[in-house]
Amino acid sequence: MAQPFPYTYYACDCYESRFQSPLAKRNSRAPAEDEEERTFDPSNPRSNYSLFPLEHLLYCEDCRQIRCPRCVVEETLNWFCPSCLFEVPSSVVKSDGNRCTRNCYNCPVCTAPMTVSSLEDPADPSPSGGPYILSCPYCHWSTEEIGIEFEKPTGITGQLAKIANGGKPMQTQKERDKERERRKEAERARRQDRLTGSGDEPPQSNTGSPPHDDVFASLSSFYKSQLAAQTPSNPFSHDVSFTSPSSFSRIMNLYSNPKKQKRDKPTPMREAASALEGLTLHDPTVDTATIERLKTCGWSSTLSSTQQLAQPPGAHFTSSLRPIATLLHTKRGKRCATCRHILSKPESKITSTRYKIKLLALNHIPRLSLRYLSPLPITPNHPVPQTPNPANFSYDNITSGLPIHFLLHLSNPLFDPIRVTLATPSTTPGKIASAVTILCPQFDVGANTDVWDDALGVDPPRSGSVTSASDGQIEAGKVWDRGRNWTSVVIEIVPGFKKSVTSGWKVPGAGGERERGEGSAEQGDDLDEDDDVLEIPIFVRIEFETDVLGEERGEERGGAKEGLKEKREEAFWTVVGVGRIAG
Amino acid sequence: MASSVSGERKVSVSHSRSARGTTPRVHDLASTPEAPRTPQYRSSSGLYGSPGGSFRTEDDYVVIELGSRYVKGGFPGESSPRCTLSFGPDEQRRVGDYRQWDPAYTQRRRKRPHSWSWGQEYELYPLDLRDVDVGLVGDKFQRAMREAYTKYFMLDPKPRRVLLAMPPRMPHALIATVLEVLFESCHAPSVTLLSSPLLATVAAGLRSALVVDIGWAETVVTAVYEYREVSERRSVRAGKPLSEQMAKLLNTQLDDDAAPGSPKSNVSFEEANEVLTRVGWCKTRPKSNRRTLYFPAREAPVLDEFEDAPEAPDPTITIPFPRHSPPTELTIMFADLAKPAEKVLFSIETPLSEFDDNELPLHHLIYRTLLSLPIDVRRHCMSRIVITGGVSAMPGLKTRILAEVDALVQQRGWDPVRSYGTASARHEQLIRQQKEKLAVQREEGDDSLSSMSDPSNPDPPSLPAGLQKQELDQIDAKLEQQALKHGPPPPCSTGGVIRGVETLGVWAGASLVAQLRVKGIVEIDRDRFLKDGLHGASREKDVSVVPQRQSMGPNVVGGKGERAGWTLGVWA
Repeated sequence: MAQPFPYTYYACDCYESRFQSPLAKRNSRAPAEDEEERTFDPSNPRSNYSLFPLEHLLYCEDCRQIRCPRCVVEETLNWFCPSCLFEVPSSVVKSDGNRCTRNCYNCPVCTAPMTVSSLEDPADPSPSGGPYILSCPYCHWSTEEIGIEFEKPTGITGQLAKIANGGKPMQTQKERDKERERRKEAERARRQDRLTGSGDEPPQSNTGSPPHDDVFASLSSFYKSQLAAQTPSNPFSHDVSFTSPSSFSRIMNLYSNPKKQKRDKPTPMREAASALEGLTLHDPTVDTATIERLKTCGWSSTLSSTQQLAQPPGAHFTSSLRPIATLLHTKRGKRCATCRHILSKPESKITSTRYKIKLLALNHIPRLSLRYLSPLPITPNHPVPQTPNPANFSYDNITSGLPIHFLLHLSNPLFDPIRVTLATPSTTPGKIASAVTILCPQFDVGANTDVWDDALGVDPPRSGSVTSASDGQIEAGKVWDRGRNWTSVVIEIVPGFKKSVTSGWKVPGAGGERERGEGSAEQGDDLDEDDDVLEIPIFVRIEFETDVLGEERGEERGGAKEGLKEKREEAFWTVVGVGRIAG
Repeated sequence: MASSVSGERKVSVSHSRSARGTTPRVHDLASTPEAPRTPQYRSSSGLYGSPGGSFRTEDDYVVIELGSRYVKGGFPGESSPRCTLSFGPDEQRRVGDYRQWDPAYTQRRRKRPHSWSWGQEYELYPLDLRDVDVGLVGDKFQRAMREAYTKYFMLDPKPRRVLLAMPPRMPHALIATVLEVLFESCHAPSVTLLSSPLLATVAAGLRSALVVDIGWAETVVTAVYEYREVSERRSVRAGKPLSEQMAKLLNTQLDDDAAPGSPKSNVSFEEANEVLTRVGWCKTRPKSNRRTLYFPAREAPVLDEFEDAPEAPDPTITIPFPRHSPPTELTIMFADLAKPAEKVLFSIETPLSEFDDNELPLHHLIYRTLLSLPIDVRRHCMSRIVITGGVSAMPGLKTRILAEVDALVQQRGWDPVRSYGTASARHEQLIRQQKEKLAVQREEGDDSLSSMSDPSNPDPPSLPAGLQKQELDQIDAKLEQQALKHGPPPPCSTGGVIRGVETLGVWAGASLVAQLRVKGIVEIDRDRFLKDGLHGASREKDVSVVPQRQSMGPNVVGGKGERAGWTLGVWA
């Protein structure tokens, strides 16, 4: 993966366990094995959704479980513009949408924040210092290219709403609504005068199809008027005053009895009949104009698909670009989805990055990390072809077939000593099966203490650990090294072959002779993008005893109030990314 | 829609204050011939509620459109969705995997996963569910929804109802997965399902339409009559083969350009798609000369204008390929860029007998759907062809489809018999005579024909019904008069000619429906769904029958108050 090797991902099984509805079970094509028996498969595409780096995880102290971004409930605390850091009240978010309504705009071409700059002619300074434009400091696109200039450097949104591309004034929505009503009225008058002659047809939309928003507004008001016209067809609607809610509801109760319900069939509402009501007939000239334009202007005048997505619908050419108002951001608190306890809550001040509450998994879950162990003669007579020294060992280029040793390092954030049991499938799942052996799968890790203890020499220095194997002997069943709150064990990996599935003649261990160019390896075999990544699923189970009432929130050293100890355990899957197998 | 204001709790016909710019006005009412009266807006929100009670309730809907490659989400009353989320490989990475932001990454061409079909990694779901992990679909959808809710909707924690626009004939496994995500992780109290052709019709301002949805995996032609889906046909000729064909075209062109001996170029899905959306186009009129046979010169005035459009002095277009190795620019004939659409969507050259039932070219598909409709329905649908879907944005495509269908109708009429065998010569002669007669008649009484109502009975079978001179029926005329009193101006009853109508798209239709607070037939309660899943629906299958008497059809009807059960409607 794109994280630098080696890395560790932690699996949150929230989705599987919490939403274990019978339905989900039926639908998922997961093997029918028992959940407990199944090993985690990091090559399954679904794993992408349940694996997280440790830093992204929270921990619910009440449920005593990891909480990933999928199993928390988020609640928005406040809204702000990331560009001007202006806090937007929620009512404004509701009415004005999720964009900044001040001067913050993003470049429609490259999405960089745009700046307001003046086009003032030094020879002929204008009183306002204008005209102004929005320009992109990164790609140098500016609103000048679409013919928009502003009079004032502030209130860009308001000004932009009144200028169409090309600098022509544009009616605001309200004005357009009014205009439409006026024209509708005129048309109706004309119709009633029986002046149906085509002589003074209202000028059809001058160029091209009417804008999306316009049509939508027309349709919306058309439907509303139609619905309103339907209302009197209800039997109780004619002579009764509806102004009083009580009389209304009384009548409703009278008539809403379904058995007595006998209303005349409502006249069907009609469909939109004119452009003013939102009917847009297909116009072949629009199509041909577009093609003509494509032909003459070419590739560079068109919008890429990502740019199109950010623009209002229908934009196809660069000339129809509009600056994009900056999307607001939010500060959100997170709650555990099961017990509703707050897991994290940022300070409400926009500029503050601190948190009031933050229950990180970092503080509750031991951190696993992997490190290359510089190769030492495993057996004296086994020749190691080239001994890469630890400094330049390349995780991106692991040789197949050769056993490599790594140090699995486990550090304990808890203030109690823990007992760890590791488990891993002997061969990794996925297309390249590598053999994995954890030499010491069960060990203890010391309790976390204050960091100063280490420095003050309370504990023996790390190299002098009791069971240290620093003499270079890698022994099964023994930890490699151990410190204050960490322990490292050796893990042996025999990376598999890229071709091992298809061609049987390659014996594991004979990897040295497989010298293949990387290019040919990429083309020849049937490996997909990340299939050559060596990832080991490791099941971690920790057991420890802790004070019953001891809340881990800072007074853990205060000692057990009643001296009662409670046995607890945690278990979770992790995925350790070792590196990329070269071939 | 008629009775959405009838006896139920939330009566208010959307006083949409918050929707940007779409403030309703009381003088909307003046557009109807009724006498002025007190608008019933937010009259009461329950037995003891004050009139203002339901004032804000409009806000509590979220409108989501589900497609096989995109999900659109937004709020009712807005004209365009707040977000359009795609499902590319970059959206499916692990958290903390930032490789897509690596500058080198964008320069590399991505390899298609082995044994995957074209573009499969960009789909939310394929329609063939045999090898699909539905759980993965759920994961993808959940991530998209989470992004939509937190990044684009930015709502307060109040749970919102969801209006879900979905293609009809969705596999139940997918519906269940999608619903589960909406209920579980979006905490929706209820989900209303509406079928997308219907919404496209609403967004076109129509009640009946022939909705041609050219989507990703397939093209679905649905005849909607009075808000009811009456007929449906599909073809696999849609976006997927189109972009694959474009990739093929680009590959051959690149190979021609490349130095001999260089490896074969293999354009990635993104590149092909980018070319297709940016410069792909479609010829607005077919080259074939078959139409000269049946087209009197005056019949195709629009087409003649652009006679020379594609034949202009061979313009070219230069397309950059930064991910090609080495990065290159391809100069391609502009006319070539129209070939994929030509080949995939129309396949003019291939004789019709070669096609399987599920791969008919679009114009034949449309024609056959029209042909299979009852004559009254056909009359409405043929002049309300609504073309929507992702591919339909391609310049020239709509015009071309309409022209092709028109040509087919001209050529064949509405005659289901395709070959008269030995009698065919006579038959053709008959048609030609009819046509000439018709042309003359049209010149005489053009306007009277257009405002005429349904043809009552077809005459001799050889005469195409759509082209017949319509009989003047006294009762019809009277009915028309009656109808006019109620307001519909003549264009409403346009029928009998091929005509295209633009739609704002499915999402906009859903937004309109939600804004008007029209209640859907398929409304699924959270608790009910979580209890029984989709199986809870089957008990009350006949719920869908009752409201067919309403004016909005089986999918969009006015509220019927509390329901005992729920149904899956067209999805059942």
